Formats: sequence, structure tokens, C-alpha cells
Amino acid sequence: MTAPPDTNGGKVTSLRELPQSIEPARDLWPGIEAQLGEIPAETLGAGTVPPRRRGQPLRWLAAAAMVASVALGVWIGRSLLPGTAGVGTPPVSANRTAVPPLAPTALDAAYVSDPRYAQQRAALVQALQARLAALPPPARAKVSASLAAIEKAKQDLEQALGRDPGNALLQELLVNTYQDEMRVLTDVHEASDPGRGI
Amino acid sequence: MRITLRGATALLLFLACVSGSAAADTTFDRNVPAQPRGAVDISNVSGDVRVSSWDRAEVSVHAELSGGIEQLDVSSEGGRTVIRVPQSHSSGRGGEAHLQVKVPKDSELTVSAVSADLTTAGVLGVQRLNTVSGDVTAELAGADLELQTVSGNVHLKGHGQPARLHVRTVSGDLHLEHGAGDLEASTVNGNLEASLDTARSVRARTTSGDVRFEGTLARGASVDATSVSGNVTVRTGAEGGYAYEVSSFSGDIGDCFNAAAERTSKYGPGTRLEGTRGDGAGHVRVKTMSGDIQLCDHR
Repeated sequence: MTAPPDTNGGKVTSLRELPQSIEPARDLWPGIEAQLGEIPAETLGAGTVPPRRRGQPLRWLAAAAMVASVALGVWIGRSLLPGTAGVGTPPVSANRTAVPPLAPTALDAAYVSDPRYAQQRAALVQALQARLAALPPPARAKVSASLAAIEKAKQDLEQALGRDPGNALLQELLVNTYQDEMRVLTDVHEASDPGRGI
Repeated sequence: MRITLRGATALLLFLACVSGSAAADTTFDRNVPAQPRGAVDISNVSGDVRVSSWDRAEVSVHAELSGGIEQLDVSSEGGRTVIRVPQSHSSGRGGEAHLQVKVPKDSELTVSAVSADLTTAGVLGVQRLNTVSGDVTAELAGADLELQTVSGNVHLKGHGQPARLHVRTVSGDLHLEHGAGDLEASTVNGNLEASLDTARSVRARTTSGDVRFEGTLARGASVDATSVSGNVTVRTGAEGGYAYEVSSFSGDIGDCFNAAAERTSKYGPGTRLEGTRGDGAGHVRVKTMSGDIQLCDHR
């Protein structure tokens, strides 16, 4: 660390006499962070070191943003296709089958940021149990297995993306998997629709 | 002992009669005129549907009905023949209908079923086949095929005539032999196994099911296969060769021509294999997350 310049009236005659860096008298980070509004200032001590783990959520956000931008385009294209309209069936209670919960995950949140997509998906998921109950039992078991496979694929891909957020291959496969999930939900919905079939 | 044998024989005969009557309560036969290139729509919930073709300008329907189903709705008007199995709600049990339908060979065929199995043979027009859990067996001609099933397995047999084939299942397997033209197939956890004599475009996608493609590519043709965790095997050759791009996040990549896959990242997982066979006119692209990939020349 270079010594600070003479502040007692000494004149600086050359740039070389200036320090290359100056340490602040105290840790300024807590105040900065508090002003950013992310963490209350009182939770940070005077000598708190800036948390390096903050890079992890940022990487997730970066990955989520990338996936969201691709996914939104894909979904817009898909939403123009027939078969997904009018899926707002109210939830109906039915016998529970071994269907994995289709709960949103970290990247779900980015993907489903479009409210229309979120509405359609929520309606399909809500109606899923009733729709499954209307299928022939062998088909019901196989579809449940398929939905479990999709859920696992999503988790695996998101886990991998957490480690490598910029991986274009994983992003593409994740978008494919979301598309497949919507396709299966739509197919199940239509297949169990009385008098309509798939 | 003689009495016992006689009794047993009588019992067997009785059971045979009972089971026979349970299998088919009644039969239904009807022929209606149809146009040589008209449309035929068939729907059935349970049982099976077998469609074959002939050179006559009429549609023939033979059905064995049970479970309270007593007849079919058959109509023919304006070049469209419709065959529907009405569902019996009064019997309290699910009815079954086993249909044998003959259609003019150039007909455009649409069949919808829930748990009924579908079989088609000799139909030269476009086929649209939909089931929920029934299996589908179809013979392909040079016309397009649109096939969709939830859990049914699909067996397709072609004769090397180019067509556009679009097959979608959720958990059903697809087995295609002697196809040609364009194939677009997707499934979640079913397996896709396709053999095309001459392919223009192949797109296959699974979540966890395996993909196996074997065939010859026309000049400039393309193969795109993706899977999350399924294994992908491509055996192909092409007029004019092909360029290949194969990548996997954590799966193994292998090939039969001594090309070495490279790591995509110095520190993380990921491998990629790129290169060219022949003039590189066609394209082969395969991507997986954890599934293994094998790329070989078609023998």
C-alpha cells in the first residue's frame, strides 16, 4: 500500500508522488449496501466484509433471464397453436394418484413470468388430478410416470444450470422440457375431455 | 369316471358359450357408398379398430359389439363417411366394439380412440390416428401421417415411399421401419426407434426415452435429435456426406470413425464432437444433458 501524500502544505510536483490507492478510514460497504436496499444496515456490523456469496443468486438471475428470454419466444409461438386455448377448467377434486407436485422452482419463476403462460399452466395443473382420473388406469399410471420424468429432467437441468448458468445446451434442453410439460398437460387435458379425445 | 368326464365336457361347452356371448353380444354389418378419394372418420372408445382398403367405392363395416352397445352410427354424405360407436350408459359397464372397416384405398382416414387399439393397412391417403392408451399399428404409403397417443405404443411400417410423418406420444414407444421422407417424433419417456430408407429431415426429441435412428440421408438432409437423459444412437450415411455437431453436458460421446470428442469447458463438464463426413452436404445434430451419444456410419 502506498503512503498517503503529504497533506501538511506540501506541494505535489509529480503524479508519481500520488498514491496508487487509498484505503478508506472505515469499511464503507455496509452503508452502500444498506442504501441499495438489499440488506438493512443494522444487520451489518461496522467491519463486515462484503458477502461474496451474493454472486451465486446473481448467476441464477442471469441464467433465469437468459432462459426467460428464450422461453418467452418459444411460448409465444406455442400459444398461437391450437389446443391450448380454453384450458381454464376449474379445479375438481379427484382421487389422488402418484403424480409428482408440479411446483414452480427457481427458474420456473423466470419462465412463467408471462402472466398468460402462468395462468394456462396453473389451470392445467389444477385440473390435472381430475383429468388423470378420467383416463384408463394403465394410461394414468404411464402418464404419471411421464410427468415424473419431466419433473426430474427440470430439476436436473436447473441444478446443472446453477453450476453453469451460461450453458446454451442446458438452456435449450430446459426450454424443450418446459414445452414438453405444457404439451403433456395439454394432451392429458384433451385426452380426458369427454366426447373430444386427443 | 365317465360321468365326471361328461360333466366336465358339458361344463366346458357351457363356459365356452358364456364367454363367447360375453365377447360379442351382437354383430353389426353395413355397407355404404363412398367416394374413391373421400374422407372416412372412425371413432371408438374401447375394443379395437382394424382398417384395410379395397378397390370399391364403398365403405364396409363389420362390428362385434358387447357391453350394451347394440349398433353403430354410420353415415355417408358429401364425400365423408362417419362411423361412430355410441356409448352405452344404461348397461352400467363399459361397452366394447371390435370394428373391421374396409375403405376405398385412396381414402383420407381419421381414427380417434380412447383405449381401443388401431390397425391400418393398405390405406394410401393421409392418415390421422389418435388414441389415448390404445396401441397403433399402421402401414405407410406415400401420404402423410399424423399420429398422436398418450400411452399407446406405435408400430409403423413403410415401403420406402417419402411422406411426412408426425408422431407424438407421451409414454408410448415408437418403432418405425422402412420409412422415408420427413419424420418428426417426440415422446417424454417412450423410446424412439426409427429406420428410414431415405430421409429428408428427421427431428426426434425425448425427455428420458432413448432415441435410435438408422438410415440414409438424402443430399442436404438433416437429423436433429435431443434428449435430456435418454441415450441417442445415430447410424447414418448420406449422399454428399454430412457435417455433425454432437454435444452433451455430462453424457459420453462415442463414434465409429475415430474422432475424438473435446471438452467444452476447461473447468466444468461438457463435451462436443464436430466434424464432417464426405462433402458435408447434410447435417447431423445431437444434444443431450446426461444421455450417452453414439454416432456411426450406416452399414
